[in-house]
Amino acid sequence: MSDVLTSSPALEARGLVRRFGRTVAVSDLSLSIAPGELYGLVGPDGAGKTTALRLLVGLLTPDGGEARVAGAVSHAAGGALRASLGYMPQQYSLYGDLSIDENLRFFGDLFGLSSTNFRERVAHLLGITQLTRFRDRRADALSGGMYKKLALACALLHRPRALVLDEPTNGVDPVSRRELWELLYTLVDEGLAVLLATPYMDEAARCHRVGLLQGGRLIAEDAPAALVRAFEDLAYFVTAADRDAAEAALHDLPGVRALSPHGPGLRVIVAAADAEAFRRRFASADMRWHLEPTAPDFEDVFLMRSIDAE
Amino acid sequence: MLPDATETRPIEGVGAFVLRLRGLILKELRQTFRDKRMIGLLMIAPMIQLLVLGHAVNLDVDHVPTLLADEDRTAESRAYLDGLTAGDAFRRVGVVDSAQVALSEVSAGRVPLAVVVPRGFAADLGAQRPTRVQVLVDGGDSNRAIVAQNAVATYTLRRSQALIAARGLPAGAALAPVRIETRVFYNPSMNSRIYFVPGVAATLLLVVTLVVTAMGLAREKESGTLEQILVTPLGGATLFLGKTLPYALIGLIDLGLVLGVGTWVFSVPLRGPLGVVFFAGGLYLMTLLGVGLLIGALARTQQQALVAAFFLIMPAILLSGFATPVENMPTWLEPVTRLNPVRPFVEVMRGVLLRGAGARDLAPQLVTLAGMGLVVFSGAAAVLRRRLG
Repeated sequence: MSDVLTSSPALEARGLVRRFGRTVAVSDLSLSIAPGELYGLVGPDGAGKTTALRLLVGLLTPDGGEARVAGAVSHAAGGALRASLGYMPQQYSLYGDLSIDENLRFFGDLFGLSSTNFRERVAHLLGITQLTRFRDRRADALSGGMYKKLALACALLHRPRALVLDEPTNGVDPVSRRELWELLYTLVDEGLAVLLATPYMDEAARCHRVGLLQGGRLIAEDAPAALVRAFEDLAYFVTAADRDAAEAALHDLPGVRALSPHGPGLRVIVAAADAEAFRRRFASADMRWHLEPTAPDFEDVFLMRSIDAE
Repeated sequence: MLPDATETRPIEGVGAFVLRLRGLILKELRQTFRDKRMIGLLMIAPMIQLLVLGHAVNLDVDHVPTLLADEDRTAESRAYLDGLTAGDAFRRVGVVDSAQVALSEVSAGRVPLAVVVPRGFAADLGAQRPTRVQVLVDGGDSNRAIVAQNAVATYTLRRSQALIAARGLPAGAALAPVRIETRVFYNPSMNSRIYFVPGVAATLLLVVTLVVTAMGLAREKESGTLEQILVTPLGGATLFLGKTLPYALIGLIDLGLVLGVGTWVFSVPLRGPLGVVFFAGGLYLMTLLGVGLLIGALARTQQQALVAAFFLIMPAILLSGFATPVENMPTWLEPVTRLNPVRPFVEVMRGVLLRGAGARDLAPQLVTLAGMGLVVFSGAAAVLRRRLG
C-alpha cells in the first residue's frame, strides 16, 4: 500500500444530503474516517444513521454532496469501490436456508476470490469468529450472535479496507457482544477503517471517535473522552426510593436541565452557572433525599447535546 | 487471535464474471432443491395439473342427459326416441308424457335437453304430412347446447331419409340435393384433449416460471439479502443472468416432462421436429423470465409480486387462443393478443405436435417469440440495472 493511500481517508462524506419526500433524512453530513480508526455514529432511532450508512456504501444516491470509499465516489460505485468495502446491514441479510459454508462460498464467488484464496480466508475468518464447528449449520439456525459473526465474516471475505456496520450488536447476547467488540478491535489494529452505527451509548464510548447524529445532522464529533471533558454542565446523583416524588420536587429547582432515572435514584444535570443556587435551594427546601456530585459520562454528553441542538 | 497474513487479490475480467455467475446459479439451484415444496411446485405440480386438466378440459359433447317427452305414445314416436338415445350422444334420464313437464324441467335447470314428440306425430307420418318434433335446450353452456341441437337435427334428418327410402323414393331426393361430406385433418376424431394438452403445457410453463422468478427476486428484497448482494462487485447483468438461467433450465425440463406426459397419457402425437418446440420454448421462456424479473424488481414484497404475476397470467391465458380461438375475439382486442407471448407459443406447439409443421411453417411465430424475448429480456435487464445496480 502506498503512502498516498494510507494517508487518505478510507471513508469520507462531504456535505451529504438525502431527502425522502419532504423529510430530510440526512442533512449536510461530513465525516472522514482514517485507516485503523473506529468511528461510531450515535443517535436515537430515526436520527438518520442507516440512511447515512447506505449513502456511504452507495446503496442510495445522495441529493447533494458525495460519499467516497477509498477515494472512489460511492454512488457511482464500480467494482473497484466495492472490492474495498464491507457492509453489514442491520437486518438479516444472509441466506437462512444456506449453511455457513454455502453463504461464505456464495459471497466468495461474488467477490471473485480464487479457490485457494477463498479457502485461506474462510479458515482464518471462521477461526477468529469461532464458527468452524458450525460450518454445516443453516444460517437461520444460528443464534443472534453467531449470525452476526457470520455476516461479519461474509463482509470481510475480500479483505476490504473499510467496514461499515449498522447496529452490529442488535439482538446479540452480552457474551457474543463482547466477542464481537474484541474482533472489531483486532481488525482495526490491523488497519481496517470501521464505521458503525449504534444507539447504545456504552458502545459509542468504546469508539476512537464518535459523531452524534440527530435529525439527520451531525451535532457533535470528537473522541468520547474529549466530549466528556468539554461537558460544561454538572452531574449529580440523587438517591431516592420514591423516584417519581423526587423527580417532581427537583423539576423546578434552578439550573436543572435534565432528569433521568438511574439505578436507585435520579441523575440530574445542572447548568454550571446555576449550580450554587441549585445546591442552596436543595438544602433549604429540606429535601429528604441524598444529593452527591458525580462524574459526567458519555450518556450525559449525548443527552445534553441533543437538548441543546433542539 | 490469529494474525491475518493472507493476501487477497480478486480475480478480474471474464474469470470473475464466470465465477460470479456460477456462484449465483449454484446458490439459486441449492435454495430451490433444498426446499422440497419448491421441487413440488416446479416439477411435480405441473405434471399433476396436466394430468387433471388434460382430463377435465374437454369440449367433446356426449352422454348429454336428455329428457324425452312422448305426447304421441305410438310405436312411431317410441321408435324415434329409442333411436335418438341408442348412441353415445344422449343419455335418457326419463320419459314424460307432456311438453309442459319437459319445459318446466329444462327451465328449472334440472335437465339440459328435452326432446318433445307432439301428439299426431304418427298420424302425420301415416298421412305423409310434414310433422315436427320440439327440442328444448338450456343455452347456459352454449357449446353443449349447439352440439346437442345439431346432433338431434342430424339424427332427425337421417331418420327422415330412411322413412323416405322405405317408401320407395330415392333417399335424400326431396330433402338434401347436395350432401356435405366432411373430412377432418390432423385430429380426425376431433378429440379436444389433443388440442388442449399443448395449450395446457404452455400455460403451466407461464405460471411456474413467472411466479417463481418474480417471487424469487422479491424475496431477496424482503429478506434483505439483495442489499448484501448489491454491495459486492456484482454487476446488474450478471445478477440478471444468474436469476434467469437456473429457471430457464427448470422451465425446459418442465417442457420435456409435460410433452412426455402428453404423449404417453393423452396420446398427443409428436409429428414435427421436437427441436423446434424446445427452441420456441427457450424464446418463450426469455419473455416470461424477463417479465418475472421486472415484476420482482418493481414489487416491494413477495405478496405484491404474486398478485402482480397473477394479474398478468389470467389475461395472458384467456387471450392466448388456448381455449377460445383468437379469431373469434373482437377486433379491438387483436393488438393485445399480439403482445401475448402465450399465443405464438401455443401455435408453435400445436403446429409441431398436431400438424407436423417445421421451423419454416412456423417462422412468423418463431420470429414473434424471438422479438418479444429479446425486447423483454433486454428491457428487464436494463430496468434491473437501473433500479438495483
